[in-house]
Amino acid sequence: MKLGRSLPVVFLGPALIVLIILAAVPTLYAFNISLQNRTLSAPDADYVWFANYIALFGDARFLNALWVSLKWEVLTVSATMIVGIGLAIAMFEAATPRWRNVLTLLFIIPVLLPRVCAAFVWKFSFHPLYGAVTWPVRAITGETPDILASPLGAMLAVAFVDVWQWGPVFAVIILKLMEALPPQPLEAARIDRCKRWEIHVFITLPMLKLPLISLILVKAIESLRSFDLVYVMTRGGPGIATETLDMYAYSQGFIEAGKISYASGMAVVMLVLTVVMFTMIWKRLNR
Amino acid sequence: MATVECRNIRKCYGELEVIRDFNLSIQDHEFVVFLGPSGCGKSTLLRMVAGLEDITGGDLLIGGARMNDRDPGDRGIAMVFQNYALYPHMTVRHNITFGLERTGVGKAEIERRLTPVVDALGLAIYLDRKPVELSGGQQQRVAIARAMIKTPEVFLFDEPLSNLDAKLRGHLRVEIARLHKTLKSTSIYVTHDQLEAMTLADRIVLMNQGRIEQMGTPEEIYSRPATLFAAGFIGTPNMNFMQFEVEGGALRDGLIHLPAPAGAQGQVTLGIRPGSVEVLPDAAEGSLPALVERDEFHGETRLVSLRCGTHSLMASVPAHMALQEGQELHIRLPEDKLHYFDTQTGQRLD
Repeated sequence: MKLGRSLPVVFLGPALIVLIILAAVPTLYAFNISLQNRTLSAPDADYVWFANYIALFGDARFLNALWVSLKWEVLTVSATMIVGIGLAIAMFEAATPRWRNVLTLLFIIPVLLPRVCAAFVWKFSFHPLYGAVTWPVRAITGETPDILASPLGAMLAVAFVDVWQWGPVFAVIILKLMEALPPQPLEAARIDRCKRWEIHVFITLPMLKLPLISLILVKAIESLRSFDLVYVMTRGGPGIATETLDMYAYSQGFIEAGKISYASGMAVVMLVLTVVMFTMIWKRLNR
Repeated sequence: MATVECRNIRKCYGELEVIRDFNLSIQDHEFVVFLGPSGCGKSTLLRMVAGLEDITGGDLLIGGARMNDRDPGDRGIAMVFQNYALYPHMTVRHNITFGLERTGVGKAEIERRLTPVVDALGLAIYLDRKPVELSGGQQQRVAIARAMIKTPEVFLFDEPLSNLDAKLRGHLRVEIARLHKTLKSTSIYVTHDQLEAMTLADRIVLMNQGRIEQMGTPEEIYSRPATLFAAGFIGTPNMNFMQFEVEGGALRDGLIHLPAPAGAQGQVTLGIRPGSVEVLPDAAEGSLPALVERDEFHGETRLVSLRCGTHSLMASVPAHMALQEGQELHIRLPEDKLHYFDTQTGQRLD
């Protein structure tokens, strides 16, 4: 084999082997389990083939979890991008290089916090009696608002924490991307009678289209793995209002029923849906 | 149609003053070239006229109105940048029409104005391409079209040809000259290339270290450079300079003996362009002996390095005049072609 042909194998080989062991084996194992009727309470199991999958699509709680996951994705990804772009433009327009450095440092801090910690901190802030966020309402009206107790409030509160962690980091990334743009097209736009905000709408953001798409996908993948945040703050509640797919799979597999095969089926569905949807979105946005 | 006037314009970056007390009045229809070496402040000045840099002090007037605090879009200018500055995500057509769209010009009107501009620059077949699919020369044509379609009062060019190869540069230079002839807009053109300045300018503003060194038509600056800097900067090949001490109203160094200009004292620099040095086969009245040191063939002409006493100088001779290195010959320095400068101040003496 010539060097030119073997080089990709040499470089990709080790990484692929690690990936196969770490990712492919559990995935195939999960798929195998999802075809059985294994539970945590019984030592043996039989193959029931696709019975779990058929049951899933008749399960209203599973369909709810799908819907919640979709809402969660759209809400957190769009809010993070809006906050990131907004803050980045604000810094680009208003902050001196010195302030940009200070803000950059500050904006990275939330994401450095482990998500479980962030979730606990904010959960306590939203506490109806002792929370810092709810304090002004208590002080003014005397009521004790329980944000996490209403379906909409819980969803928004958890999404808020997610955006609080990721929005500022994205702002830093987008600011750095904007700083790396050539300044002349922006100057040309000023001569072409663009107002300040129009420059961003018509010139800088379209010029950053590809990196922004990549950021959207990064955030979308990150949002899928929000189990710890939801688990700490609401456990999927109130009721099943914030029960995402991974939360539901976890409770089916470990907390409530121990139906490990059923939960594996859910994980497989989630995997397939994710791969299909991301491929479609990636191809569409890149056109 | 507009005049441009700079009154006592200053520019400081913090403590550093890069332009001080700049005064210039540009007539309607005039094509003015700011010429100078890198870092002389010519681009900064242009960017101040465009509104891309703040003016630290003084007044800028376009068409008689003070422009210091107006946005670049409201100054009635259009600018062509060195690196084209096209919008990479837009098609050529959109790049050209974007400015008009922002001004609120109607679709039909844009279409009507697009055609002649596109035809003038030969861009019709590229309209639906993106800038990356075009060569440098084509991209700069798009940038010129983008400036032209706005029918600005004043055209600003910031080294528009510097990124192009020599052949294209010559071609586009002719095109810009032709466009100016038809459009007649007041134009300010910044370059460090003296050939561009000489061929395009109605008037050259030669700049050095943030101030005007000399201002005049290309002929004036070439034939009567006001300072040593102007004499050295304009003209290819470069002017020869020789240092002399004034003794008793004459310049002498044993071999050369020339009358000094009136009022000359101390050190004087004598300048003569290589094309003005006359090479003679034999000694004649007022000629000087010289030795050929190097002979460069340039096609039409040869550039010969000569040693004449303690001085070395270049002479430009017809290509058919074959000279050997080490050959002895005679030269004459015609008096009407000599330029005298005070070595200390750099000022012209006659």
